[in-house]
Amino acid sequence: MSDALEADQTFYDKFPAESRVVRSSLLGAFLALTLGAIFGIIQTLHRTGIFRGLIASTDYYTLLTAHGVFLALSFTTFFLAGLFTWAVVRSLDRPLVNIKITWTWYALMAGGMTMTGITILAGLVDAVDMSADVLFTFYAPLQAHPLFYTGLAVFIVGTWLAGADWFRTWLAWREENPNERIPLQTFMVLTTMIMWYIASSAVAASVLIFLLPWSLGLIESVNPTLTRTLFWFFGHPVVYFWLMPAYLLWYTVLPSIAGGRLFSDPLARVVFVLFVLLSTPVGIHHQYLDPGIAEGFKFISMTNTMFLLLPSLLTAFTVVASVEYGARQRGGTGVFGWLRSLPWRDPAFTGMMLAGLMFAAGGFSGMVNAGMNVNYMIHNTIWVPGHFHLTVGTAVALTFMAATYWLWPQITNKPIYSSQIGLFQVVLWFIGMALMSNAMHAQGLLGVPRRTAEPEYSGFDYPVAFGGFEELNVQIAIGGTLLFLSTVLFIGNLVLTMGNPRVSGIAETLRPALSGPDDAPEVLDDLRIWSGIAVVLVVLAYALPLAAIINDGGLFGPGVGTYPVWIDAAAGAIADVTVSAAWSLVDALALLGSRLLDAAVAGVIA
Amino acid sequence: MSRTETAGAPVDDAGGDEEFDPVGTLALIAVYFAILVIAWVYIYYIEFLGRDLVVVG
Amino acid sequence: MHIHAYEKIWLAFAIVLILLLLGSVTYGAVGPGVAMVADSEGQIDATALDEDERFAEPRVEQVGENHYAAYVVAYQFGFEPDPIVVPANSRVTLHVTSRDVIHGFEVVGTNANTMVVPGEVSEITVEVGEPQEYGLLCNEYCGAGHHAMEGKLHVVPREEFESSDGGESA
Repeated sequence: MSDALEADQTFYDKFPAESRVVRSSLLGAFLALTLGAIFGIIQTLHRTGIFRGLIASTDYYTLLTAHGVFLALSFTTFFLAGLFTWAVVRSLDRPLVNIKITWTWYALMAGGMTMTGITILAGLVDAVDMSADVLFTFYAPLQAHPLFYTGLAVFIVGTWLAGADWFRTWLAWREENPNERIPLQTFMVLTTMIMWYIASSAVAASVLIFLLPWSLGLIESVNPTLTRTLFWFFGHPVVYFWLMPAYLLWYTVLPSIAGGRLFSDPLARVVFVLFVLLSTPVGIHHQYLDPGIAEGFKFISMTNTMFLLLPSLLTAFTVVASVEYGARQRGGTGVFGWLRSLPWRDPAFTGMMLAGLMFAAGGFSGMVNAGMNVNYMIHNTIWVPGHFHLTVGTAVALTFMAATYWLWPQITNKPIYSSQIGLFQVVLWFIGMALMSNAMHAQGLLGVPRRTAEPEYSGFDYPVAFGGFEELNVQIAIGGTLLFLSTVLFIGNLVLTMGNPRVSGIAETLRPALSGPDDAPEVLDDLRIWSGIAVVLVVLAYALPLAAIINDGGLFGPGVGTYPVWIDAAAGAIADVTVSAAWSLVDALALLGSRLLDAAVAGVIA
Repeated sequence: MSRTETAGAPVDDAGGDEEFDPVGTLALIAVYFAILVIAWVYIYYIEFLGRDLVVVG
Repeated sequence: MHIHAYEKIWLAFAIVLILLLLGSVTYGAVGPGVAMVADSEGQIDATALDEDERFAEPRVEQVGENHYAAYVVAYQFGFEPDPIVVPANSRVTLHVTSRDVIHGFEVVGTNANTMVVPGEVSEITVEVGEPQEYGLLCNEYCGAGHHAMEGKLHVVPREEFESSDGGESA
């Protein structure tokens, strides 16, 4: 349907109003990426001991919180919002029902994230009694400023409204096309959002019932195991929320870029249904070493987690087969020789392929993370960030950047400024992450912890294996520096692209699958059934553990204190919050700017 | 497998009408499988179970 | 629904892989007997540890023939007792709790690793071997001084352990 029509028109030509939404969402994502990368390079150099002159070690945790929130929540979700808006409108070939609603969710997301971001960065400014050095997991009883939780809640409500917007557009399309299968891209968007509604309900409950009232002083204490469990109820499916847009790109865009077609539309649908069903009842695998949860619940969670490998392993096959089909179409031969016939000069293609390769490696460390008792070896070591910098930090982030080289011209009619820089940039990311992540995994096996400003201790040395602690630090620092440079090149290339004049004739077509949707059983498209089963599975997995936690420790905890990281002098400054918030952002940015300037000057002098 | 083509599919690639056997993919993924199994056996049985202070209760 | 024969082969291999992973973990549990930290101990009032007979005075004490219990309190930013002194070639059950926020308890380079949550008691039992000094660190962010939170686990010869007072004043 839409595919044949779209050949000579870009998305920008057909849907200028929606293009603006997609562009704004992507720009929001890239702003978060820029900030996250700046904090990332400061952390990398600080943690590895290469350069500790820019921030105090106590401020490291402010930057770490910002790095996590801006990249894991803001960058990923804003990109998802833009991509999903594009995917729904493109695949349904109809505009959004009401663009005012669309801008409303955009404003909620942007406003919420700004609130949270300001609260975090205010932690750098001593004069302001506001901070949120709680990292992106915000485990109670460490307590952030109320504005931190409020911003998160507003942000999540924004994403809910975005999902409703896409569902509504689909319903309108269904009225117009009563007997058609749901187009694959829309199917992927809708299933991802079903998963998101189920998952985010828990963190919303945690924030609205417990953490926010507690930070406002309305309730005295919380049950740390309960809020932690509610966080991980959300915290594992959120990684699929990051990943599903990348899968959407691998399934529906990558094959066409490779000159091929998707190998199997039905299997793609099966994979997304499996994610709806299995991605939530697994969160307890983040709590294998929690004292408040019985071993049986941990084992059930592990079993679910291991079966969650299936959709990803199937994806590996389907996507590679689709690309191989393209290579064969381009004249590729041999068992491995076809790999030479692929468009490796195209940054969109190469970036996504390298991202997929990294995901395969991340798959292995993920299997280790999923193993219940082997968790004793790597739990909370830097192995874990080593793992998720392969998954969200490369499989997702590099796919997003690579896809931008393909997508941005479609939503602006502006060709990319430099494909060569783009190609260099994606390869640089791959090399940087290979170095950094490999060294992080190796340090994790030595027992080096994650989330620390200074991983060296006065009383003991790490054992030596896979290279010593110090040389692995150097590897991490080099890798992190390359990643930062890669981000700078990406952003620079994009900014220069924005200065290009609009042209015509750059429309790209997405080709239909080899095995199309008619091959897929109708029941796959019955979203109500899958939502229902997903809810049942979640209840089965979580009802008993949550009941046990509440039964043991009570809703509000078994006698636990409150440890605000945001009040130096105990002042009830809540009324002044809005005023001080605005100032603190200005201060924080000014301070960061001046420190960067100082560092740069120091560097020049040295 | 011709019925699996969707109605709007362009007919520029003749291969689309025949069963396509992704033999290269199967080979690549077999290599991946071997790496996964070897790496897992090393990490679980040698690194993990070989460590001090195994938690036994 | 049409699924290519190769994809069916891969699906079979994927399931074999999953069974290998689950089988390994199960083997670890029943063979070497690796047990998970769990909810074996009841709740505790984290704000009143000084009234608790186990944690008012963090210490190591003998509880069986060759079995010792260590009662350890994690706090911002350290562990008590420090060092934790235990006799060589014995069985040691660690009971760890927190006086304030969530911490981690990791004996560096070993499998002794657990979350420490206020209100809960983490209980893990390990077999210690020959005399050795292990590093101990907190591996969960616990506040601005998190990176300074460390301790030691000393495995000492039995005579040395018995001549001391169980590590309290070591």
